Amino acid sequence: MTGQAPSMDGERMPGISPSGDARSWMRLIDWIWTVRGELPLPAGQDTDKAFAKLEPFFREPGTSFDQAEGRLTFTKKDPLAQDKMSIYDRGELRVESQPGGGVLRYWMTSKSLLFCFLAPLLFVAFGQIIVGVGILAKPDTEQADKKKKEEKDKVRELHWIDQMLGAPAPEKPKKDEKDKKKDEGGKDRFSPTSAYVFAGLFALLYVIGRILEDRLIRRRFLRSLSGG
Amino acid sequence: MNGVRVGNRIIGADSPVTIGWENVPKVEGGPFKRLFFTWFQPAVLFSMILFWYYAPNSIAKASTAIGIGIAFRALLLALEWVNPRFKSWELTWKECVTDLFYVGLGYTILNLVDNFIGSDVLIENLLSSFDWDKLAWFTDLPLLVQAFLILFIFDFGQYWMHRGMHNWYPLWLTHSVHHYITQLNINKGAVGNPVELFLIGLGIGGLFDFLPRAALLAGAIGMSIGVYQHINVRFNTPAWWRFLFNTTEHHSLHHSLDFEATRSNYASNFIFIDRMFGTCVDGEAELLGMEGGRRMSIREQMTYPFTEGWKTMKEKFGKADDPHAVPAE
Repeated sequence: MTGQAPSMDGERMPGISPSGDARSWMRLIDWIWTVRGELPLPAGQDTDKAFAKLEPFFREPGTSFDQAEGRLTFTKKDPLAQDKMSIYDRGELRVESQPGGGVLRYWMTSKSLLFCFLAPLLFVAFGQIIVGVGILAKPDTEQADKKKKEEKDKVRELHWIDQMLGAPAPEKPKKDEKDKKKDEGGKDRFSPTSAYVFAGLFALLYVIGRILEDRLIRRRFLRSLSGG
Repeated sequence: MNGVRVGNRIIGADSPVTIGWENVPKVEGGPFKRLFFTWFQPAVLFSMILFWYYAPNSIAKASTAIGIGIAFRALLLALEWVNPRFKSWELTWKECVTDLFYVGLGYTILNLVDNFIGSDVLIENLLSSFDWDKLAWFTDLPLLVQAFLILFIFDFGQYWMHRGMHNWYPLWLTHSVHHYITQLNINKGAVGNPVELFLIGLGIGGLFDFLPRAALLAGAIGMSIGVYQHINVRFNTPAWWRFLFNTTEHHSLHHSLDFEATRSNYASNFIFIDRMFGTCVDGEAELLGMEGGRRMSIREQMTYPFTEGWKTMKEKFGKADDPHAVPAE
């Protein structure tokens, strides 16, 4: 790698982070898809030793990396499902010397985190589409539902084997229930509830993933650095 | 790699597989654990049948079925964690998000599409256009026979659709995406290109009239059998179950990296359909996927059938550069 490495003090990384005002704006939101951290290196561990210990993370299929001048950059394309860093697409690790000893700083971006963050919006949009289509399709479905209900109103008898075994007989729908259902028309078929449930589920998954993956990679790096 | 001869075929020549039940590992641990993972599947199946057979009408409805389905899947996720079949199939956060995205598509947009062009709607339109009635004799049968027929008719159709997908290139393009999964987990069945997910859902069940309770029974039985196709749990599945029903062992072979193994075990629930047509192979595989186990991103999963189809069309019908062209003097 050539050229002078920009300082990480400003949390800026080469080639990826924007500069100037855009940078400060981006800094406000890039925590959504970016995982940052720093770890103290064990006493006496220099840059080469530290990167040698972390190298197995980058010797995975679909991963390319470059190490020079105390800095390791990597990119990943279609990593394996069990790759310990599968959620990350690119990033940089750097070892800095400080009075108390070496420090590993890392900065990694994840399209998976961004996708999960945006997924609730997608499912809310799906919900809105379902509602919209339901409104447009209502006249047709009402007629079809009416015919279906008429068919359902016929009460059928159970087979004698089922009667003998005590299975509950089919019931004729009660009058008021029937009217209620009639008012509802084909609403169930165009209900956005599932979409909103999934929106909530992805919001929850994002929170879990953002915390969990941050802690996992920290723990894995720490274990590798301190390993024999 | 030599592979193992199964009938006229050599299975496992491209990638390691385990053939024969005697070679498939058993559940390890104490007597309770072994007992639990031996009888769990049959116990759930018979409990479901009893519940849906005798549940009062006020309880026997679709919303109860959905609730039970969600709770059961949550339980199976916990079992994946307690007793995984393979460590290399462990559910990660990213896999979980990917799988749930496809489950979500199924419950929302694909469901919406099914409301207009699903097979049940098309059959309904066909019947009303010709003023035909559904085949009503179905409802005169005992409930469990109705439930079995609903499942069998669907599974039989699905067997041929699935086999067709492995044998006819345009269908394979849509189905191939599902074969890029590299591990089995409880929601992996939902992963695939939406076109395939639509095609695999087609059936002729709409031609038949049946009692609502029979449909609920069929749904519960189908769930209690089919849910284990994509699961990372080691079971000591009883021999009679493995003879009749598709299992995660069968389906892992179907997803194997070994080409010949993927051309087996097509049925969704009833593996005896594969036995009938000579496509059943008993055994299991750990290494799954395509192209050496490359994992496909969601973006590629969405576009792959079209981009790959376009490439093939270009190769077949496009103008080829003449490699032997002689430059003009």
